[in-house]
Amino acid sequence: MRNRTTTSAPAAGFRSRLRQFTASVPLIGWLLGIFGAVLAEYFLGDLVSYYLGLPKIPVLFGLLTVLKKPLLIPGILGYLVLVYAIPVVIIVRIMQKPANRLAEFLAGKRVTIAALVHLSLFYGALHLWADISDYRLLVLKLTMIAIMLTLSINVINGYMGEFSCSHPGFMALGAYTASTITLLLFANDKQFGPALLPEALGFYFFPLALVAGGIAAAVGALVIAIPSFRTRGDYLAIISLAFLFIVKSIIENLEFVGGPRGMSSQPDYANLPMVFTVMVLCIWIINNFVRSTMGKALNAVRDNELAADAMTVDTRRTKIITFLFGAFWAGVAGGLFAHVLRYVNPGSFGIQRLAEILAMVYFGGLNSVTGSIVGAVSINVLSEALRPLEIYKWIIIPLLLILVMLYRPTGLIAFTEFKPRELMRPKTTKGGE
Amino acid sequence: MKRLVKGTVWGLVAVLVFSANAWSFGRKTVIKVGINAPITGDIPKVGEGTKYAAQMWLADIEKAGGIEVGGTKYPVELVIEDNESKAESAVKANTKMITEDEVLVIVGPQSSKQAVPAGDVANNYETPMITPWSTNPDSTKDRPYCFRGCFLDPFQGPVLADFITEEFGFTTAAVLYDVASDYPKGLAEFFREAWEKIHGPGSVVAFESFTTKDTDFSSQLSKINKSGAQVLFTPQYYNEVALIVQQAHELGWTGPIVGSDSWGSAETVALCGKDCYGLFFSTHYAAAGAQGATKEFIERYEKTYGYTPDDVAALTWDSLRLVQTAIENTGKITGKIKQDRKAVRDALARVKNFKGITGDMTFTEEGDPNKCAVIVRISDKGEYEFYKLVCPD
Amino acid sequence: MDLFLQNIVNGLQWGSFYALIALGYSMVYSILMLFNFAHGDVFMVGSYIGFGVATALLGLAAATGLPIPGWLILVLTILFSMFLTSFVGMFIERVGYRPLREAPRASAAITGLMIGIILETGNLAILGARRLSFPQLIESTTYQLGGVFVTNKKILIVAVSLGLMYLLHRFIQKSKWGMAMRAMSFDFQAVPLMGISINRIAPLTFAIGSSLAAAAGILYGLAYPVLDPYMGILLGWKAFVAAILGGRGSILGAALAGFLLGFIEIFVAWIFPSTLRDVIAYSIILLILTFRPHGFFGQAHSTQLRL
Repeated sequence: MRNRTTTSAPAAGFRSRLRQFTASVPLIGWLLGIFGAVLAEYFLGDLVSYYLGLPKIPVLFGLLTVLKKPLLIPGILGYLVLVYAIPVVIIVRIMQKPANRLAEFLAGKRVTIAALVHLSLFYGALHLWADISDYRLLVLKLTMIAIMLTLSINVINGYMGEFSCSHPGFMALGAYTASTITLLLFANDKQFGPALLPEALGFYFFPLALVAGGIAAAVGALVIAIPSFRTRGDYLAIISLAFLFIVKSIIENLEFVGGPRGMSSQPDYANLPMVFTVMVLCIWIINNFVRSTMGKALNAVRDNELAADAMTVDTRRTKIITFLFGAFWAGVAGGLFAHVLRYVNPGSFGIQRLAEILAMVYFGGLNSVTGSIVGAVSINVLSEALRPLEIYKWIIIPLLLILVMLYRPTGLIAFTEFKPRELMRPKTTKGGE
Repeated sequence: MKRLVKGTVWGLVAVLVFSANAWSFGRKTVIKVGINAPITGDIPKVGEGTKYAAQMWLADIEKAGGIEVGGTKYPVELVIEDNESKAESAVKANTKMITEDEVLVIVGPQSSKQAVPAGDVANNYETPMITPWSTNPDSTKDRPYCFRGCFLDPFQGPVLADFITEEFGFTTAAVLYDVASDYPKGLAEFFREAWEKIHGPGSVVAFESFTTKDTDFSSQLSKINKSGAQVLFTPQYYNEVALIVQQAHELGWTGPIVGSDSWGSAETVALCGKDCYGLFFSTHYAAAGAQGATKEFIERYEKTYGYTPDDVAALTWDSLRLVQTAIENTGKITGKIKQDRKAVRDALARVKNFKGITGDMTFTEEGDPNKCAVIVRISDKGEYEFYKLVCPD
Repeated sequence: MDLFLQNIVNGLQWGSFYALIALGYSMVYSILMLFNFAHGDVFMVGSYIGFGVATALLGLAAATGLPIPGWLILVLTILFSMFLTSFVGMFIERVGYRPLREAPRASAAITGLMIGIILETGNLAILGARRLSFPQLIESTTYQLGGVFVTNKKILIVAVSLGLMYLLHRFIQKSKWGMAMRAMSFDFQAVPLMGISINRIAPLTFAIGSSLAAAAGILYGLAYPVLDPYMGILLGWKAFVAAILGGRGSILGAALAGFLLGFIEIFVAWIFPSTLRDVIAYSIILLILTFRPHGFFGQAHSTQLRL
């Protein structure tokens, strides 16, 4: 008994010191650390992995290899410690004071500027990290798109409290509209023949194509938004489900967009900076939307529509704007999705995609921007990492989700506000040390 | 507690230092061959045949100590990815194999619905790909890096139309196909074109469709029944064939039902039973009564896996042997993956008169071989009997 | 005219499956106010259990040499499988829904979806990817009435499903348990105060719903004898549409809407080009719900949604 108390005391001390240390580092310090680690991997990764006996740089932190070749686990652990952990710890330790001074300086500036500094640092790290393998790049892009999808469905299902099943439909509308525009105007392809405009212009017009996709999705959302005045809950769920079946079936019947065959060879416009920028915009705008009076009105509609109406909330306007808004971002995400995979067919937008999106949003947590991001990233990374398990993957992921639902019925991080300024503030320790 | 942590850490360090990997510094050049197959999803038997044929091939290679290129023997590794019989997953699987696993060449995907989009990925990344079973022209069209191991639908459609006309002397036909899948849709259209060329416009009296995963075709089949068609053509996969044929018979259809190469799975008769006896379909090879190398392959496969290999297995086998020949013909493996892929692609395009178990192969400009089609009759014992051979002129 | 009658017959058979599965959704809804999204996969499990039972019985008959007629095996298969599958339903209730009774309804919906995925994948992992061919327990005979073709299987399927629906109706209207269920669906907060435990009613509801799904699964196996692990997904979602279309929680409505959905699908495929079937069929449903926002038999719900 005595033995245990004596040994646990230093451990607790170590832990609390660790907590104190991590609490004293601002976000920008961590970002600098990550940047350093990625830089280390960029230049030394190949060498380190060579001497650790790894066939190549572990792509997703070695998650893929761990399950396939357990013998390589020590090598991968060594790699993670050498290339990621040690540089992060060293840089964070050294940069603690300068980083705090920088954070203090930025806190005095406008949020936009501070955010831009953080984001460019973060982007730099991501870019270097993804530069090592095309596979990383693909997973990264798809994860970013998943974040957009999850956020946009959270607006409807979380903040407004409907159970909308039509998100894959919105996505399909966006994907097809954007692909049609880029293929028709800027690409020589089998579907539409030679490009109508010079190909060099294409990349600059791509954001417009995305917006057009978003608008197409928003127009489609009217089909659901209008019945939502008179009904909600399960009946609306069915209407949205019927919408999904209809969209899919219509696209299958439209021969000029390839029917069931789909469209391929979309120009390679959706590079990492593009996807990253659109995702950041999406997070920024949705976060502002839900924190505005509109967001409060939404929650009011969710909690009690009649009461909200009585309190002068224009429920119809709120509902229609929210549906269009959510659908718009789903459409944009769909457009990006089509250009990342460079292939799109109606089969990708079925019930299975719906289950995936729902899983991400409910896993992460309703009514929370952070939750959506966490949900999208964790489900995406999990489903890549567990790939070697083949079909058992689809037993483990649902089990995990059920456990989360049982212990946290509203999801991991629900009902929280995402405050960028709070996140970026300096962490000068007052007292304590 | 502390001791436990310490022990674990030191243990890990020890493992790290003494593990075999820590001392095996050099990286060997391994020839990686990617297999993109539908292990799960709608047509798992096709995936199984692909996998088994690939494993048989690998066993041969391993027995020989690897593939010999320019005097050196290189070990071979198979990377088998499941495409869940979905187009999107096939695209992802190809991307993953090319970028993550760095395969030299890809064999698969099998069905056109996946091979058409996945071929695009392979071509964009300049990785040679052979699809053994995809008959849709788009799989290889304008794609220098894509090849195939079988005949094409613009050939198969007329073969079937001619066969029905000659064999039965019919003038009207009905078609039932899955509108949401590339292969049936393409072939249904080629068949209609060919049929109407022989018997005049309007001679395909019913052109009915359904959607993937449908199981009830009663409405479409009732319509076909009343349309006055003499023969029903349905280019579907084996799981749907059983349902279509049985329901057609229950709804009073008495005419013949003719199918395409997608019927050729080992599972068709198992699921369909007596209803399928006596029906005809076109395919790539006939197992019953095969000779020479083909017979050898069939017997070996039967011995290992316990059933007669279907056309997918035979075509996959041929494609893998073709890949092997091409790799051997490159003369040397540099270990620089981009360069090697280009060399393999060029070697594949140069292959002349390759002796395959499903026929001789020489690739055209588009990467398609000129091969014969076999008309097979399902016998009264449920075996695939050779009936007729039709070759392109 | 022949074609019209023929399609009535086709629609009756196809609608029976929707109706039987929709009943399960609707019953659970009326008690717990939530939809059991694993129900489509319970149907699949029921079908596989039916396959197992039928194969075992056939094997037993062959081994002992007893001349058991096919129809007897069929009856036994249906009864056994209904019994066995009801435990699957109760298990799902216990594990997935009871702990979440106070949670937001959407969480329970997600749990249901995930249980469904586990059932599908578990089946795939255990039995492998090959399709199973459901044993033909009764010899199929086709009768020709005028220009209409009817098989004995079709008659059997429609008769058995109608019979089961009638039994369910009697049970709910006349039995003590049925009365408790009706009371529960009327007010699930007050009724437990009267000494009726929701922890007994809810499993019972799941058991009945699942056994109906199992019966549907076996009849489905007779009509469409190719079983695969994913067979329940699309059918389940469409039956869910039917359950809502009937008016949530309305047993009669769910059965009628199931048949209606079957008829819509069959007739749309007959009248219009069959490629457009889904577009037109679901547009009709969308229109129905736009103009009758609470389904056919449902009342506008004043109770607040627990979300």
